[in-house]
Amino acid sequence: MMGYRGQAARARRLRRFPALLGLSAVLAGLPGPAPAKTLVFCSEGNPESLDPAIVTTTTAMNVTWQMFNTLVEFAPGSTVIRPALAQSWSVSEDGRSYAFTLREGVRFHENARFRPSRALNADDVLFTFLRQWKPDHPFHGQGAPDGQGSQNGKAGGFAYFHDLGLADLIEAIDAPDPRTVRFRLKEPDATFLPNLAQAFASIHSAEYAATLAASGAKEALGREPIGTGPFTFAGYRPDVTVRYRAFEAYWRRPDAAEPGLAPIDGLVFSITPNPAVRLAKLKAGECHVMAFPATTDLDRIEADPDLTLAGKAELNVSYLALNTAKPPFDDVRVRRAVNLAIDRRAIVEGAYGAAGLVARGPLPPGLWATDAGLPEIAFDRAEAQRLLAEAGHREGFETDLWYPPVSRPYNPDGRRVADMIQADLARIGIRARLVTEPWSAYRAALYAGVPQTMLYGWTGDNGDPDNFLNVLLGCKAAAPGGANLARWCDPEYDALIQAARRTAAMPIRKALYAQGQAIVLREAPWAPLAHTVVHMALRRGVTGFRMDPLGRHLFEGVALRD
Amino acid sequence: MRVGRKILLVGGVPILIAAAIALAGWLLLAQEERARGGAVVAGQVDRVLALARMVRDDYVEARAADRAAHAERFLALTGEAGTGLDALKAYVRTAEQTARIASAKGALDRYVARMRAFIRVTRENDGLIAEMATRAGRLIDLADRARLRQQASNADLVRSLSEKVQRLSATRDVLAGINDMRATAAEIALDRARSDRAPPAEIARLREAARGLAAALRAQGRGREAGELEGLAAAEAGGAAPGLAEWGERLLKIDSSGQRTLHEEVAQLLTYAIEANETEQATQNIAVTTLRLGQRTADALVRRDAPAAEAMLAEGERLSAKAAALPISPLIQAEMIDAVDGWRKRLTTTIDGLRRQTEMLADMDGLAAAMSASAQNLNDVFIGDAERFGASIRQILLAGAAAGLLIGTLVALAVARAITTPLRQLQGDMIALAANPAGGLVSGLRRGDELGDIARATNFFVTEIARREQALRRAKDQADAALVELRQAQADLIRAEKLASLGQLVAGVAHEINTPLGLALTTATVVRDETRGFQATLASGQLSRARLTRYVERVQEGAALLCTNLARAADLVHGFKQVAVDRVSDEQRRFPLDTWLDELLASLKPLLRQGGHAVIRTCPPLTVDTNPGALAQVVTNCITNAVVHGFAPGRPGTIRVSVAEAGAGLIRLEIADDGRGIPPENLERIFDPFFTTARSRGSTGLGMHIVHNLVTAKLGGRIALTSRPGEGTCVRVEFPAAIGAAERPALAKVVG
Repeated sequence: MMGYRGQAARARRLRRFPALLGLSAVLAGLPGPAPAKTLVFCSEGNPESLDPAIVTTTTAMNVTWQMFNTLVEFAPGSTVIRPALAQSWSVSEDGRSYAFTLREGVRFHENARFRPSRALNADDVLFTFLRQWKPDHPFHGQGAPDGQGSQNGKAGGFAYFHDLGLADLIEAIDAPDPRTVRFRLKEPDATFLPNLAQAFASIHSAEYAATLAASGAKEALGREPIGTGPFTFAGYRPDVTVRYRAFEAYWRRPDAAEPGLAPIDGLVFSITPNPAVRLAKLKAGECHVMAFPATTDLDRIEADPDLTLAGKAELNVSYLALNTAKPPFDDVRVRRAVNLAIDRRAIVEGAYGAAGLVARGPLPPGLWATDAGLPEIAFDRAEAQRLLAEAGHREGFETDLWYPPVSRPYNPDGRRVADMIQADLARIGIRARLVTEPWSAYRAALYAGVPQTMLYGWTGDNGDPDNFLNVLLGCKAAAPGGANLARWCDPEYDALIQAARRTAAMPIRKALYAQGQAIVLREAPWAPLAHTVVHMALRRGVTGFRMDPLGRHLFEGVALRD
Repeated sequence: MRVGRKILLVGGVPILIAAAIALAGWLLLAQEERARGGAVVAGQVDRVLALARMVRDDYVEARAADRAAHAERFLALTGEAGTGLDALKAYVRTAEQTARIASAKGALDRYVARMRAFIRVTRENDGLIAEMATRAGRLIDLADRARLRQQASNADLVRSLSEKVQRLSATRDVLAGINDMRATAAEIALDRARSDRAPPAEIARLREAARGLAAALRAQGRGREAGELEGLAAAEAGGAAPGLAEWGERLLKIDSSGQRTLHEEVAQLLTYAIEANETEQATQNIAVTTLRLGQRTADALVRRDAPAAEAMLAEGERLSAKAAALPISPLIQAEMIDAVDGWRKRLTTTIDGLRRQTEMLADMDGLAAAMSASAQNLNDVFIGDAERFGASIRQILLAGAAAGLLIGTLVALAVARAITTPLRQLQGDMIALAANPAGGLVSGLRRGDELGDIARATNFFVTEIARREQALRRAKDQADAALVELRQAQADLIRAEKLASLGQLVAGVAHEINTPLGLALTTATVVRDETRGFQATLASGQLSRARLTRYVERVQEGAALLCTNLARAADLVHGFKQVAVDRVSDEQRRFPLDTWLDELLASLKPLLRQGGHAVIRTCPPLTVDTNPGALAQVVTNCITNAVVHGFAPGRPGTIRVSVAEAGAGLIRLEIADDGRGIPPENLERIFDPFFTTARSRGSTGLGMHIVHNLVTAKLGGRIALTSRPGEGTCVRVEFPAAIGAAERPALAKVVG
């Protein structure tokens, strides 16, 4: 891309020669290279990886979404599936075979190590999925953040792929011709297609992987990513920036946000964990879009003529996970006591403000499977103390309480929520020690099952209840490295959830999920806390940015007015 | 022998000799001149080349902006040198010279090609240098923008910070209030536990604390919570439930965590502010460093100091690394790095260019020296040639001139004699012929030379003149005959026209008379029938008195009718008779114009009645002495024209005939219609004979011509016609009331 631009500029200069002569007096005023239009997004944290197959946080997914495409995708701002790298697909009668026809002429990015010799084909799709699926795949080792997958074994790598149960679901993947990829499933799965629209299913370049393998630099796959997306990777400095350049050969021509408005040339994620600092940068024009403004700042943002506030009720949940693999939280009475001791209203009032809604269960209210009849979870200290005494903790106990160091869409101020929970727990004798780590390490610790109690949350990736109830609470995800942070595996619950997944009939699924939700509340692996309206603040000149119910920040087609 | 040849002989011999000398001289002179010219050109080429070399040095030394002029000059000079070398080819005498020129030309071409390449490279380099300057400028601009943003941000940060600090202190107030209240409540609880009753002073303190906290909450805009507190405090003071403690606990939890968040925000904002300002400083530094580096590099490049420029390259690399490593605003970092990297890339190319330039200069110097040597050598060769040719010319000129002079004089004398003798003979013949053209031929017709030609030409001239004279005479006779015929034809036509108008008159008369005669006839018939009936009655003897009376009445009535109608017919005949007589006679008489006009118009009534046209006559009682026939024809023709041409078919028009005295003895007669008028293009030709627009309807085109002739010739007057399309036509005739010898000249003068 740069090469092309350089040539064009040279050609322009050559044509200008006659004009150049005798103009040295006004050289400074010469039209140099046109000022690049860079859009800066003040993001909330470091990505744990740049490899979409590995990432599990929306923070990192949003970093990879800019560079990658999936076979099918959710239309921005909705949960409607539409073609992406697969221009069409067909599903067999029995719901077990999926055949995808790939789009022609899709180009991969290039970088210093690699220049693609061909367009996207079935090899790339096979590479993407076989790598995550087959433990003996040459690139299966690059399956954990920072390439530590091999240490953690199978479960440590490709958490998402495994949490979704795809490793067991898929029977075979093959490519009858370069433009067709077929998946054969062991059983029908209603969530299969939406699952392929998630970040982990982003298509890598098999050719790039081969180039890296040949030069012994396999780990570059995740550090210097090559995708087909609207932006090419230009650099990542932890705690500072992720930089991108617009990909000129991108397969999709963006709909012009406004006629005559050129798309941006560059995109930068300016990593700024503190929302007050993010807002300061946004106001100063140092960034154009900021994630998750503090709830106390919303009014001021709305009043600022230079800024726009965008809000959307996301499909998300914020919860306190209780590690059932570690005592004393292996005792359901202790877990219930914790649930009863937390004053959720105070938390929502103090930390979430108007953007928050007290959670009554694991599912957000906007999801079709959410049991609308669930009562608010009781706040009852006396009962909590009774349950603790019953469990043999009359004097209370000490525990850790991990809180996220950065703003999350489901939790704008982890520390404050942790403070308040700490105070609540103290009242029933539980002495919680607050712990945190930088975001990537925090997430890694949680996935590794280190903490006893931890604040976390989830933004639905595909608008399907399975994405919450199975991915976050299913038995498959309970293994270390999985997203079931409570490490809770209830066979009865898991059976319900898996059954719901195998059927496409909505009423049946809804009934099964209602039962599942009741079990979650009874067994209390989590203390569900809140759901949120997620906010983004934008400068006035930003056009074409759409809020997404799945928490994606998509900058494809976004433009800047001067 | 012909005269021409003789003259040729006289002139020719010396000319031939002179020409031979001149030719030889000219050939040699040309050779000499060529050689000299060659020498001059070669010298010029040498000078031009030397100048070009200086100009090239100027070009190399000049500033980028001034180079174009030098480059142009250089190309012009080398172009001139090239033209000079091409021109030199024309002076070439030997193959060796040609080879020399070709080699010099080849060297020149190479030289120019090198220079063009050099100019190209220089332009590239200048462009690159300029672009580097632009890039450095852009960096400064970027840094400036960052600084401006930072300034705005600083102000904003100060606002944000002070706001946060304010909120922090308000929160602190709330927290202090809570703690105060909690402490008091705890004391009260203790007292209660001890004595089951709290001292009023402590309760008052609790109230005070609650009030303070409520005020702090209100100050933060938390009225709802303040209200809750006041309710709870009142209940607590009354010794009620421990709601206040629980409430305070909750508030403490919310606000203490909020305070911590605020602390964190303030700390982070401060850190950011410091970082941002440091970053901005660093950004400025990079921009300034780049600019300085750019200037130093440009200096090095102007000095053509490649190693120094290369050192800058390394410095640029360090700068780029620094820009990448510093936490520069992401808005401009990529651009800064791009700018520095682009600058370095350009610089690498530029240094290459510089090296190439230096090589080119050396190469060009070599070529220039070779060319200069060639040019000087050529100069020498040509000068040597020129001098040799000069010597030969001088010798040939001297010998040739003497011989030519002698031979020329002798031949001239002989020839002069042979020409003058026959010329004198011819002169005599010509004089004789002028006196008597029929006197025969000139002598010397048989001579073959120019004098014979002159004699034959003279002879031909004389006979030809006689023939032409005869032809002219014949043509004149024919023209005269044709003119007579033409006049006859015209007179015939005019007579025919006159007869036609007479016919028209007769037709009119017949028509007019027809009515009274018809009535008379009918009446007569009735009287006859009545008489027959009366006679029968009388014969049968049944005649009654009444019948007799009725018969007499009837006859009387009939007789009266007969008298009236016949008198009318007689009147008409009388009137027409005069008109008709006037028409055919050409005599002048004295008559009353008004009655005459009435009669004339009466004769025209049938013509007018056909189209329903009206005639309005205005005529004072006047007596004129003129030609009534001519006047009648004039009026008739004008009215006929108005009826036939002036009025559109089916549209009745009005014709005004007005007569007035126009000065002493002059009558003005105007005949005006309100018809279609005459198109302007026809107006000029209206009096031309045979001009008509209605030939298809039998019009001869003589009417107005006759009118014109009659007015001017017979009436001694003048005529004018005015017309505008759509507004009608007016014919104005002015004629003397009495045609006398006295008025005619005056009138003619006026007409003229």
